[in-house]
Amino acid sequence: MKKFLATVLVVVMVLSLAGCKDDKKKDGLSGKLTLWTIAVEGDSNYPAYQQALKEMKEKYPNVEVKMESTQNDDYKLKIKTAMQGNDVADIFFTWSCAFLGDFVENGKVYCLDDMYKKYADKLPEAMCRNTTYNGKKYGVPLTMNVVTLFANLDLLKKAGYDDVPTTYEDLIKCCDALLAKGIIPFGCAGAANQEWCITEYIEPLIIKTAGADVMDGIFQGTKSWNDDGVAKAIDTFNDFMKKGYFAADDAALDNDTVKANFIAGEYAFYQNGSWNCGDLAASGLNIKACEFPVIDASKSKLGQLTGGPNDTLAVFSGSKDCELAAQYCFELGQLICKYGYLAGSGLPAWKVDYEAKDVNYLTAQVAKLVEGANYLVLFGDNLQSTEATEIYLKEIRKAYNGEVSGKQFAEDLAKAIR
Amino acid sequence: MAKNKGVYQPNEYTIRKGGKAFGIFGVVLLVLWSLINLYPLFWMITFSLKDNQQIQKTHRFLFPKGLPNEWHWENYKALDYSSLLTYFKNSVIVTVLAILISMVAAMMASYAIMRIQWRASKAVNRMFLLGITIPVQASLVPVYMICRSFGWLDTRWSLIIPYAAFALAMSILIANSFIVGIPKDLDEAAYIDGCSRYGVFFRIIVPLMLPSVSTIAIYSFLQCWNELMFASVFISSSEYRTLPVGVQSYTGTFTVKWGPIGAVITIATIPMVIAYILLSRKIQESFIAGAIKG
Amino acid sequence: MKHRSTSDTISIIVFLTPAVLLFAAILIAPMVMSAYYSFFDWKGLGEAKFVGISNYKELFTSELTPFPSALKNVFILAGLSVFLQLPISLGLALILGRGIKGERFFLSVNFIPVLISTVVIAMLWKVIYQPKGLLNNLLRMLGILKEGDNNILFLADGPKGHLLGSVIAPMLWQYVGYHMLLMYAGVKNVSPELREAAMIDGATPWQVDRFIVIPSMKQVIKVCVIFSVTGSLKSYDLPALLAGMRSVTAAFPSTMLMNQMFKANRYGMGSAIAVLLILMCFAFALLINFIFREKDE
Repeated sequence: MKKFLATVLVVVMVLSLAGCKDDKKKDGLSGKLTLWTIAVEGDSNYPAYQQALKEMKEKYPNVEVKMESTQNDDYKLKIKTAMQGNDVADIFFTWSCAFLGDFVENGKVYCLDDMYKKYADKLPEAMCRNTTYNGKKYGVPLTMNVVTLFANLDLLKKAGYDDVPTTYEDLIKCCDALLAKGIIPFGCAGAANQEWCITEYIEPLIIKTAGADVMDGIFQGTKSWNDDGVAKAIDTFNDFMKKGYFAADDAALDNDTVKANFIAGEYAFYQNGSWNCGDLAASGLNIKACEFPVIDASKSKLGQLTGGPNDTLAVFSGSKDCELAAQYCFELGQLICKYGYLAGSGLPAWKVDYEAKDVNYLTAQVAKLVEGANYLVLFGDNLQSTEATEIYLKEIRKAYNGEVSGKQFAEDLAKAIR
Repeated sequence: MAKNKGVYQPNEYTIRKGGKAFGIFGVVLLVLWSLINLYPLFWMITFSLKDNQQIQKTHRFLFPKGLPNEWHWENYKALDYSSLLTYFKNSVIVTVLAILISMVAAMMASYAIMRIQWRASKAVNRMFLLGITIPVQASLVPVYMICRSFGWLDTRWSLIIPYAAFALAMSILIANSFIVGIPKDLDEAAYIDGCSRYGVFFRIIVPLMLPSVSTIAIYSFLQCWNELMFASVFISSSEYRTLPVGVQSYTGTFTVKWGPIGAVITIATIPMVIAYILLSRKIQESFIAGAIKG
Repeated sequence: MKHRSTSDTISIIVFLTPAVLLFAAILIAPMVMSAYYSFFDWKGLGEAKFVGISNYKELFTSELTPFPSALKNVFILAGLSVFLQLPISLGLALILGRGIKGERFFLSVNFIPVLISTVVIAMLWKVIYQPKGLLNNLLRMLGILKEGDNNILFLADGPKGHLLGSVIAPMLWQYVGYHMLLMYAGVKNVSPELREAAMIDGATPWQVDRFIVIPSMKQVIKVCVIFSVTGSLKSYDLPALLAGMRSVTAAFPSTMLMNQMFKANRYGMGSAIAVLLILMCFAFALLINFIFREKDE
């Protein structure tokens, strides 16, 4: 099957290459391009896109770019439908791994290997891992994000802790001390459709119990869900729930509200993506960004994080001028990365060759964490196939509702995911 | 539901009092229900003038605590009015054309079904009835393909035609109920006077169907005006974007400024509510006038 | 005109053409395509694999695609809208129809929720349902929730929550005004003379409603029932906005359809749901027609 796919891919690639213009343009790029993104007016990345496009306009005045943005959920619908109809913008925003993979598999994406060579010194190979399929690169990463444990240090002080505990045992003691003071330890959105927030807690728990290699292998389909570490991690999560580490009301809250609650000082910890750094740093609270401590040191260690480069730009293989689109895509991606990073909405996937002193203190702390990271496992809802993701998130919901034990969770998923 | 237990016979009943008390109770009920239905407007307008903190953290709903602590008029200043106006214009164009197309098609079809006698008319009618039962969600991809093959994608036609088609079934249903109310004697007389089918349709049926226009229009309007799915998938260029998609673009993926969202939904809703209140007499009158059945 | 002629045939074709074209292109063609793809395992892109009726089978047997619970939920919704929402609408329309002051004001106001976009309605209800929101506050004020009781978690997706009810309530509320307007037209259709004559003969307003007005409204009520049942079966916007498309406790056929088609990339499975949904809606529409027709005779 894989061989067959590869052949199909090669054929499609040749065809799509043939569709591209041959005449080489030297430096001055010119032409018309369309760009689809999710950076609508209300999005946190909107300013970064606008700034990047403005700078691109100055650099390449002869390239006319039309950016059209669609709200996140609608965009997913739109891009999937448009791919079926072969009617996609030249450059389109996408999520890495499975989401882009489906398009690549069907020859809808232009291979960026050749163009990458020009930018190899600025864009580390490792950052392209999530958008590399069969050894070929298909995406330009923008920012990368990791799950971060944000701690409200003022609340910790009330429970007698001057800093965030670094061992799991201490963290548990800390949580109990917080509870004794009437402070809810963790904030986690649990309302309908907020399963992704629950995974921000469960995935680090699994990684710190079973090891990053196990989690990665499970998501990639090389290892079975039926793993003792997974079961243990879910039991730990169930314990947290039972002990009241999460507020009962959170089960009916959206992430927006939970985040607002954290900013209002209602929880000691909020574990969520590092894209929150900008907002949290601006809140004026005394926050520290750190990673969840190791639970089972025989299988895991510090520096094993959940996350990685996810937001991506890619080039549609049916574009009239793939080469132009590819080059523009790299240049634009680099700038979006820069301005997104400076605005605190993520870490740079590209090398930082500019002054970045103004980056907020939380993003800087997360950058340190990532520097020390030794294993990044991308978010489960991006790394797994779309079909598996839906099954996984349904099981996550059951775990959150306390309807499954760790063992059952592991067995259910091992059985249901093909 | 409606049990049709024969006709009212006056002498079966004696005079009874007590209707009055029930009447007052009924009115109180009506007033309460109306207040509940007015609440969304109150909520929306006050919401548009609050800051993030008050929207997210303090859930006070009623007067006076539901009012903004500080009146943040700047929420309205943050909006891009020129593009909102474009979205509004697009919504109007798309909706009006869709309504017109489905109305004309419905009246014609209704005439053929109800006024010309042929064997399959009932079956055809039932087939059209099928239309109100088709969920829009199921047809997203096929309709996309169809629009693409006609070259309608990213033009207003990609919304006008599907909206017209989805409004059609309901329009035919309504047109049928109106056409039944037009005495058949009128057609017969016209035929005897030498009118053709087309003549009868244009000279007798269409003028007498005019009261149905606003009924059909309002149903179709309700279906089209707030439609989001087709509008966000079929239209890419912002110059053809409709209002619901424009409003949606104020909600980002992560960071959300709630105040401007409140402002934009208020701006998008209020004109419609005002228009409805201004036109309500007209709309309601045609409802009643049109409902004349033999 | 009892006879048929060629000119009649031509005029039938002419009059039907616009409607049939619209209908075939936008409604029938997608239906046929859905029916076709429902027999395939297809990701929406790439090759489709013929799987016979296994999509349908899976819908009713697999725990991963809880179609039976979606059916149960949607029938609850349809039942409530016929036996709760419509009677409320009818009651309000009858009260209005008796001719009270500010008739038009009431009529207009009650229609407003229909005009407001569902996105806004969902936002409002989300706020109402907050653990510290309007509804919980109200219940505390009324003493239904006592001091020390936990807040009711309306939007929690699980045994502790009330997601299904929370999704259904706004749907019922939103369309009361819509049906009321329809029924009001029916109420007003009764000639004032008949009403007066009955009153002079000594009938109470209730008797007038019961024996004169309601029987004459059969057509309107039939239409309302069809609208509310098919509308319920197809309901998508509010469930998707309030409960998302993944929820099992508040699964609806349309949200499941979208979840399978566009989230799980199981286009064939989504199509199978679409087919069942269409068949169901059509069956109900015919059934309702049949029930009301019988009473005509």
